Amino acid sequence: MNIEQLTNRFFELVAPDQPNSWEVEDAVLPLVDSEKVEAVLSQVPVIWPISNSLCYNYLAQVTGALSCISESELPAWVNATLDHYESGGLRAAQRFMIDVERNFVCHMRGESGARLQDIHGWLLPYVQGLSGGGLELAPARAPYTDTGTVYLPQELKVFSREEDNILLYKLIAAYQWAFCRIGTFFPSFTGKFGNDAECSLQNFLRSFPDSALAGRLYHTLETLRAGFFLARELPGLVRMSRDIRRRLWDAVHGAKRRQMFVLGQLDQACCLFDAVPAVELQQPVTNFVNRLSAHHAGAGDSLELCQLLYERVAHEGEEPAEPLVFQGELHLSAVQAAREQQQKIIGEQFLEALSVHLLHLPEARPLLEEQMEKGEGGGRADGDRAIILEHQAEPGKENAARTLYLKIDNEATELPEELRRLVSDLHDLGVNPERYITSAVGRAGQAMARGEGGESTSEEQVVVSTQSYDEWDFRRKGFRKNWCILTEREIVPLRTNFVSATLAKYHGRIVRLRHQFEMMRTQERFLRRQRDGDDVDFDALVESLADTRAGLPPSDRLFIRLRRDERDIAVLFLLDMSNSTEGWIGTAIKESLVLLCEAMETLGDRYGIYGFSGMRRLRCETFHIKHIDESYTDEVRQRIGSITPREYTRMAPAIRHMTSLFKTVDARVRLLITLSDGKPEDYDDYKGEYAIEDTRHALLEARSAGIHPFCITIDRHAHDYMAHMYGDVNYIFINNVAKLPARMPEIYRVLTT
Amino acid sequence: MTAKKNILAEHRINEKPYYLQTDQEVTIAEAAYHQGLPILLKGPTGCGKTRFMQYLAWRLDRPLITVSCHDDLSTSDLVGRYLIRAGEAVWMDGPLTLAVRAGAICYLDEVVEARKDTTVVIHPLADDRRELPIEKLGELLAAPPEFMLAVSYNPGYQSVLKDLKPSTRQRFVSLAFDYPDPDHEAEIVCREGGIEPDLARLLVRFAEMTRSLRDSGLAEGASTRLLIQVGKLVGQGIDIRSACRAAVTQSLTDDPELLAAIDEMAGSLFG
Repeated sequence: MNIEQLTNRFFELVAPDQPNSWEVEDAVLPLVDSEKVEAVLSQVPVIWPISNSLCYNYLAQVTGALSCISESELPAWVNATLDHYESGGLRAAQRFMIDVERNFVCHMRGESGARLQDIHGWLLPYVQGLSGGGLELAPARAPYTDTGTVYLPQELKVFSREEDNILLYKLIAAYQWAFCRIGTFFPSFTGKFGNDAECSLQNFLRSFPDSALAGRLYHTLETLRAGFFLARELPGLVRMSRDIRRRLWDAVHGAKRRQMFVLGQLDQACCLFDAVPAVELQQPVTNFVNRLSAHHAGAGDSLELCQLLYERVAHEGEEPAEPLVFQGELHLSAVQAAREQQQKIIGEQFLEALSVHLLHLPEARPLLEEQMEKGEGGGRADGDRAIILEHQAEPGKENAARTLYLKIDNEATELPEELRRLVSDLHDLGVNPERYITSAVGRAGQAMARGEGGESTSEEQVVVSTQSYDEWDFRRKGFRKNWCILTEREIVPLRTNFVSATLAKYHGRIVRLRHQFEMMRTQERFLRRQRDGDDVDFDALVESLADTRAGLPPSDRLFIRLRRDERDIAVLFLLDMSNSTEGWIGTAIKESLVLLCEAMETLGDRYGIYGFSGMRRLRCETFHIKHIDESYTDEVRQRIGSITPREYTRMAPAIRHMTSLFKTVDARVRLLITLSDGKPEDYDDYKGEYAIEDTRHALLEARSAGIHPFCITIDRHAHDYMAHMYGDVNYIFINNVAKLPARMPEIYRVLTT
Repeated sequence: MTAKKNILAEHRINEKPYYLQTDQEVTIAEAAYHQGLPILLKGPTGCGKTRFMQYLAWRLDRPLITVSCHDDLSTSDLVGRYLIRAGEAVWMDGPLTLAVRAGAICYLDEVVEARKDTTVVIHPLADDRRELPIEKLGELLAAPPEFMLAVSYNPGYQSVLKDLKPSTRQRFVSLAFDYPDPDHEAEIVCREGGIEPDLARLLVRFAEMTRSLRDSGLAEGASTRLLIQVGKLVGQGIDIRSACRAAVTQSLTDDPELLAAIDEMAGSLFG
């Protein structure tokens, strides 16, 4: 093509955009007389909508690129370029395009870096297996951990082979886990450093003239100790990584450090800790190795050695080099923030639980009534009227569980188990639970002042019916009669293409689902000992003959019949529509419902879908999405698409309502599957143990009525209460909300096969 | 009669089976035995329920007759049936009847797998009547004091269609089994798998890691039995990584990402 033809073609491809013609002519100039014009231009509509500048850059670079890659590889190269553009901007994409050999071709040959997103699928369960489920993974510029998450670089290109870089990822993740496990961030300050509860690693490091240097030295000593720990805990990984650690030392870190004395030797010991006798080290590093390799070595040893090392390094004027690749960085502020977050969560749980406990404690009444009189803005109560005491262990019974008492106005009552556990967790986090008492009293007083009385808000939804339900008070072991008013409402369906978009998004999965669920629909099996059938049951025939010989009347059940097992299952899905689910209700749960409906329609089980929410006991609400015998029409689809977050989670009335709906349903198996994201909780005093016990009782009532309840939850703290509410095996926690649409039909399939 | 004696002799446990008590399960089971109460063992797969029954039978010096329950198990399979031998109709006791007559221990393994209309046949044996009606013989067989009924099942995440009816489960003294603590488990794996203690310790650590994957989609982690299997393969000369892959990883899951993660765990421990 000549320049004019190329320009016109370009304009056709980017229409209706109308770029400057001289810019276009400049851009397409390299393509004149090119044989691969069509292949090149075919990528223009892919790049142009994302970035015009990038498209021009592409045209400038592509001819050079095609000397390294084939036409068939061109789309992959363009996609990789766009990935770099989206993560790093135009400059990153330009850099990527320039060196095709290094950036792309090597990668295609497997000779290159590893990317976190490519290995995240197995690296996350690997880290969770190491840590017992306690650690997450996230990308960051340099490796570190805050004790809740391990942060890893998005890409590692230290070695030329991808598998070495993947091994390096594993090693880095293992070191960050090790730091959490061996107590690097929370050393105990005993003995030499005193027993001050206020001591922290941060304060210790600040006591040095150069706290950043002290931090680096401490981290390096801990890296050495972590290496010995890994040698004991993960000997396979240590063996496998020996080669890359040696190469790291020889090629990456060693060069700079050979000029250094103490610090260089220390870093060498960190890299080659498992070859130490062969590696020649001198004092004082030999002493460090001996001390930190001991089984009982703790972070306190590193603190002591840090002081010695600091003096030595300061005296000799050595400067530390950049951290070792697998060591990462020390981010004490992130650790502190993560800990504070954890303290906050547990503190809030404790505050809630204690305020509910106080509300129902007769001994606390006078104190709370005083609070009420102080009014809504009263806030905190007198600190010395309510305190938590620990019962002194009897001599000889030191191993007995701690007994904790709540003492109010000199009357002591034992704390319930949930509160004891939370107090223990708070102590472990270094928090004094005392300071929560006064807040709890204040909060309980305010709740009491608010008391009952829900104002009804105007709703555009149609009211279908209103019923009252009892509420179980576990303290008095009895019901509060007709305590809750539940209104069944209709969702106003909005015009939305949500369902069709979801069907398109999950098209492949839906095809597979339909196949799976079709197989479930009819299970054929041979029924033996039938009065009639397709074939003779010889076992039964022989038995019959034997019975005849013995003088017994012969059986007439001598046939085998092939029968299709009719499934006789009815299920109600109960969906938590509370405001706390706002983060997830928009997409994952609605997509799950769509997939589920497709599966259920194929299967033929009878199913209904309801949502629930509400505020206070007088305004509990359920929302009709699909009745159990209603057809899956467009109206149902619109209702699913119109689901929005509501208010609170008073679960028990909704469960009782479902139980009453099941009364009219005749089926051999009746299932109630709840989808939830958190604990039952309402605006008033319906929280904590009271709410859990009421919900549990509602579930027990359902079970007594022959219904099997089951819960699917995304609440990370589900294990704290779900086993108690639903039973150990009647709930499942989904750790990744994005997986919910795929897993819901699978869960249903396993439950009912 | 001789044939019957032979059968019972076959079911005797003559050598002491290796079993490490973790809680009071042996004591409670013996107490139940002496009171004529049946026991129900529940726990994940491969955590020692069957081995416990063998140990209990040895301690009590009773034969142990085990029935693996399945969907096709009929009442005749348990109680007995007439067979024709040399032109004569001869009654053959089923395993349950055999156990009752001999005062043995009858152990119904994975009892939820049997159909509920089969399971109800054990009801009269499992309450204070302690009798077995054999309709075809017109006999009401009273169980001697030495007889014990035991059942087991895995209460893990399972189908609602397979569950023990309350009327069945409420007849039993229940013992909950779980994986032993790490030191005990390592001892068991070392002993039963025939491997060194250090390797056993690492295998237990491997199992612990897989048991933390419940939230990642793995319903049950590696059981003690799987670890013992690894040990046995290693004893046959299989390298540890291949043994882990064959005996544990591939047995646990088909999910590619979980397979990779578990394989990496094994690599990190064993190299």
